[in-house]
Order: sequence, then structure tokens, then C-alpha cells
Amino acid sequence: MATLQIKDLHVSVADEETKKTKEILKGVNLTMNTGETHAIMGPNGTGKSTLSETIMGNPKYLVTQGDIMLDGTSLLGKPVDERARAGLFLAMQYPAEIKGITNLEFMRAAVNATRPDNDPIPIRTFLKELDKNLEILNMSDDMAERYLNEGFSGGEKKRNEILQLMTIKPKFAILDEIDSGLDIDALQVVAKGVNQMASPNFGVLMITHYQRLLNYIHPDQVHVMMGGKIVKTGNASLATELEATGYAGLRDELGLDVDLVDEDVPAGNGGR
Amino acid sequence: MLKTMTLELDPDLLKQARFSNEPHWLKALRENAWKQINSLEMPIFAKINYHAWPLLDFVSHPVFNVTIPESVWSESNGYQFASLGQLVVKTELSEELTAKGVILCDMGTAIHQYGDLVHDFLFHQAVQIDENRLTAVSAALMNGGTFLYVPKNVEIDDPINLLQIQDSRQPGNFVNHTLIVAGENSQFQVLQRSSTLGDEPNAAHIMVEIVAQSGSRVKFSALDSLGQTTHSYINRRGYLEKDARIDWTVGVLNDGNTIADFDSNLVGSGSHTEMQTVAISTDRQTQGIDTQVTNYGRHSEGNILQRGILLGRSALVFNGIGKIIKGAHGAKAQQENRVLMLSPKARGDANPILLIDENDVIAGHAASVGRINQDQMYYLMSRGLTKEVAQRLVARGFLGVVLSDIPVPEVRQQMISLIERKLINGQGTE
Repeated sequence: MATLQIKDLHVSVADEETKKTKEILKGVNLTMNTGETHAIMGPNGTGKSTLSETIMGNPKYLVTQGDIMLDGTSLLGKPVDERARAGLFLAMQYPAEIKGITNLEFMRAAVNATRPDNDPIPIRTFLKELDKNLEILNMSDDMAERYLNEGFSGGEKKRNEILQLMTIKPKFAILDEIDSGLDIDALQVVAKGVNQMASPNFGVLMITHYQRLLNYIHPDQVHVMMGGKIVKTGNASLATELEATGYAGLRDELGLDVDLVDEDVPAGNGGR
Repeated sequence: MLKTMTLELDPDLLKQARFSNEPHWLKALRENAWKQINSLEMPIFAKINYHAWPLLDFVSHPVFNVTIPESVWSESNGYQFASLGQLVVKTELSEELTAKGVILCDMGTAIHQYGDLVHDFLFHQAVQIDENRLTAVSAALMNGGTFLYVPKNVEIDDPINLLQIQDSRQPGNFVNHTLIVAGENSQFQVLQRSSTLGDEPNAAHIMVEIVAQSGSRVKFSALDSLGQTTHSYINRRGYLEKDARIDWTVGVLNDGNTIADFDSNLVGSGSHTEMQTVAISTDRQTQGIDTQVTNYGRHSEGNILQRGILLGRSALVFNGIGKIIKGAHGAKAQQENRVLMLSPKARGDANPILLIDENDVIAGHAASVGRINQDQMYYLMSRGLTKEVAQRLVARGFLGVVLSDIPVPEVRQQMISLIERKLINGQGTE
């Protein structure tokens, strides 16, 4: 069993134009083990993607306080590729498109990244598994030969993220809004791929706005994030509850002073 | 403009360069070139300052080493022709091709056995002796090379592979000349592989003339990986008659400083060339590549596609020149030159130059000088790839548009391995 632990995490980002830094995460605490599925829900602009990118090690995000630990070892200061090789995977909301590199050679390079130089994965073993995964994800064979995400539709990109997940087999996968832009059919396929991975040695952290995804990938724990913090944790029923009350309802119930980006009425009963 | 430097070349060099029992015409050609060396200017490579390079530091009394190491023998497998400096390692043309009248031999043999043919084409159509100081030097001091002649209507399926190794185990002069004549309606592929053995700091002068007669089709590939201590001048020139076509694929993967001129003269109407180049500069090296298409013929078409990668503190300049001569009605000239810098200290440049003297033509260009996309790097590294592996993938992807177009699969594979090796070595010096 592996454990991913986030302790009192504070994160700032610098605005690219004004160079001013702004604190996005204001003390996140979260512990998850392999074998568990967690979901983080929350309104827009609350720091969910910041959390996932920071765990993965995106250099644009600056940790100002707290720690991220994998099996007791701090990941701060380790670059993204080391974290990936340590067992973290982030299915990205906006995967990069790279012309001239085929999906196939990229995934082979990724698999070989955690193997010794003199022991690359045999090509036949690799292809056999790839075929199996392509089938699970309803992807055509030519996906392997296409350039990495180049000209992929939104749905194809999401599936391609899951294909990579299934190929690389990390300890922990963070799925950043894997459901956005997917129709029900595609969502089911993506969920099938993730569920296929279920094992005592694999943990999932899903980030989503909607409860819908959780119908297909069942969480053990649901965390609600608002204003850069986790404000409530519960089981799967918390998501259903949220669907009924909305984030504003929960905010008011908890008495939080948090603006909701997509809300017309500011916090604090008509506010400032 | 580059001012002519005074130059004192030892007259012994002219004697040293001679093949045995040279025919009178060749002696005359050399002497004519020799006389002009001092009055001609060095060729101009925009944005490259190569004045201080020891390109003309020839050795007056070179020592010949006649041993051919095992590595060269084994490398020569798969090549029909192989040479090490002035030594001919092998010439091996199938009986079938010989029976069809195909000629493949070293230049020293060609001037005797096929003197009339060589005389008709050497420095006659493609390259002129007096274009600049370096063309004159190549003519005067040529001391090795290859002659390939494919007669009219002969089609050859398998590529003809030439391995020409510069011998830098000791000080010496490498002035190599390859003459390729494609008879009317002939079709064939050629690979020229150039490398260096040893690390004496010698210059390399490599020239290729391809005369493509009416209706012929030549696919010419070159893979250059000259040594780090070699300063090189490389000149490859095509002369295309009516409806002839040359497809060039050139990998400039030298480790030393290089200036290169790749030109196609579209003389005949309907002639066509595709000139594709990949270049990588690493460490502290400078490489400047001028690629020029000159449309003389009506409805001639020339396209240039170049991709370059830079690492370390290196420099790489692509000058793409599209020239359309008055009277070349309906000519087409397109070019695309792009360089990608993987290092903040590298200096890349891509300059398209269009010189058009006719109205009803189509000409265009695209050029860019870019740095590696950090979002792409982050994405690749987020899957566990080290920075070095991710960089090489991005680099390969960037070159992919040229690589995927290489007509001969073996050449493509060889090019990819050479690129990989060059990138790995380049990253090692960062």
C-alpha cells in the first residue's frame, strides 16, 4: 500500500502579465491510500486544478507552505518527471498537442522511463497490452500511429489520457475534470478504463464539478473544496446532497465567506 | 561583402593532388583553377562569419596511411563504393548494372577509363570553376571522389550507396569530388555518407555535381557526420534539364564547423526539385547552410524544406534562396525554413531570400526561429520522461516533417539513428 499525503498546502501563482502572485490554495489537507477512490468537488475557480497541478509538480505553481508526501517522502523540490516515475499520474484537462511524435513511441518511452536502460519493454508485450487497452476504450488502432493529441477531438484527448494511464500503471492517478466535454457514451468508456485499473495498488483522485461522473466511478470519499480549502469530507452521498443544494447552499450552511465565481450574488448576504 | 584575403598556397599542393598519369585536359583544368584562386573571393554566407576558419590550411607534404582499419571494412558493408581519404576501399557494382552500362568507380580511375565522359561533365554544367575561391580550390586540388554514370533509359531499383570517409588519422587534405550523370529518362537513388576517421584538425572540401539529363529522376540523399575537428565546405549542385527531377534529402549532422551550399539549377522547362535538409548544431559549433533553387526553365518547380535544431552554445543559419530568372514563365519556388533552439545560449537564424525577375510565377516562403514549448515539455515529463528524453522526442517531432518524406526507408532509419546520436552527444556537453 502506498500513501499520498497533503499537509497544510498553500500555493500561489504569478499572474503572467502583472507578475503579482496570488494565493490560491490556503491550507489543503488530504490523505489517500492506494485501493481508495477519492473525489474532489467544488465550484469554478476554487483551486481544484491548482491542487492537481501542484501535486504533479507543474513549475508554474509555487508552494509557500505545507508539504506533499508520497509514502512519507516529500515530493517538493522534485521535478515533474521524478514524481511521475515515483508513481504519480495526472490526466490533464488540456493535454498538449505534439506533432511528429506518435502516441505509440511516446507511450513506449513513458513505460521505459521506469525501467532500466538495458531492459526496455519487449515490443510485442507492449503492443499486445496496447491492443487490449485500445479495445477497452473503444479506440481505433490508428490512434497509436497518430501524432500525440494532434488534431484530436476533446473526447479523443480524454480517452488518450486514460489510455496513457492504463499503459503507465501509476500508483496514484489524478483525473482533472476527465468528464468535461464528454457525452454519456464517452464518459462510460472512460469510466470503464479507470475502473479496469482498480486494485489495492492503485488510487484515484477525481476532480470534477459534477456528481454525474461519480455514478460511473464510485468514490470512497468525497471532498468539497471552496476558497482554496477542503471544507467538507463525506462519503458518496455527499455528492448527491450537493447536487440538491448546490455549492452556495453548502457554503451558507457552513457559514463560509467565499465568493463563487459563477454566481451573481457575492458571499456574505449581498456583500461588500 | 567579403574582401579577398591574400592567400599563399604552396604550389606543391597542386602536384600532390594529381591523380596518376593525369590526362592533359585535367592538368589544364587544374592549372586554370589554380591561377584564379587568388583573384576569386570567398563565397558569401549571410550571417555566418567563417573568415577565421582554417578551410585553406592545406598540408603541403601529407603522409599517406594505407592501412584500412577493420571498422571501415565492416562499415563498408551495404555500400557499393567506399573510400578512406584517397584510398579506395571497395567498388562493387552488380554484373547486371555493369551490363546495362552503369559506371561506378573512383575519380582517379574514371579520368582514364571514362575520360571523355568525365571531361564532358566535370566542372562543366553544374559547378563552374570560377564561381568563387572555394570552387576553384576544389577544382585545382581535387584528390579523390566518385564517378557514377547511369545511361539513358536505365532504371535502378536498389539505391547506390557511397561511403566516403575523411582520413584524419594524420594531417592530410580531403578534397573530394563526386560526379553523377543521369542519362535521359534514367531513374535511380544515391546515398552519400560522409564521415571522419581520426581527429587531426583537417579541412574537408566535399563537392557533388549531379547532371540530370532530360526526363531523368534522381533521389539523392546525403548523411554528413564529419568530425569535431573538421572544418568543412560542402557544395552539392544539381543541373536539371527538361523534365528532370532531383529529390534531395540531406542530413547535416557534422560535429565541426560547416558551411554548405546546396543548389539546384532548374535549367530545362518542366524540371523539378525538392530540397529537404535537416541540420543539428551542438556544443560550440557553427553551421551555415545556403540552399538555393534557381528557376531558368519555364514551368520549372523548386521547393525547399529545412529544419534545424540547436543545442549548447551552437549556431545554425539557414539561408533559403529562391531565384527566378526572367523568362521562367510559370515557375514555382516555395520554401520553408525553421529552426528550434533547445538551449537558451544557442543562436539560430532562418532567412528566406526571394529574387524574382518574372511576373507569372508562384513563389512563397515561411520561416521561423523558435524555442522549445514548455507546455509540451511539461506534458511529456509528466509521464516520467526525463528532460533529455523529452527534448529529443520534441526535436524528433520537429524534424518529423522532413524525416517522414525521406524516400528510402533505410536512409530514413540511418538518419534517425544519426540524429539520436547527435542529440545525445549534444545534450552531454550542455
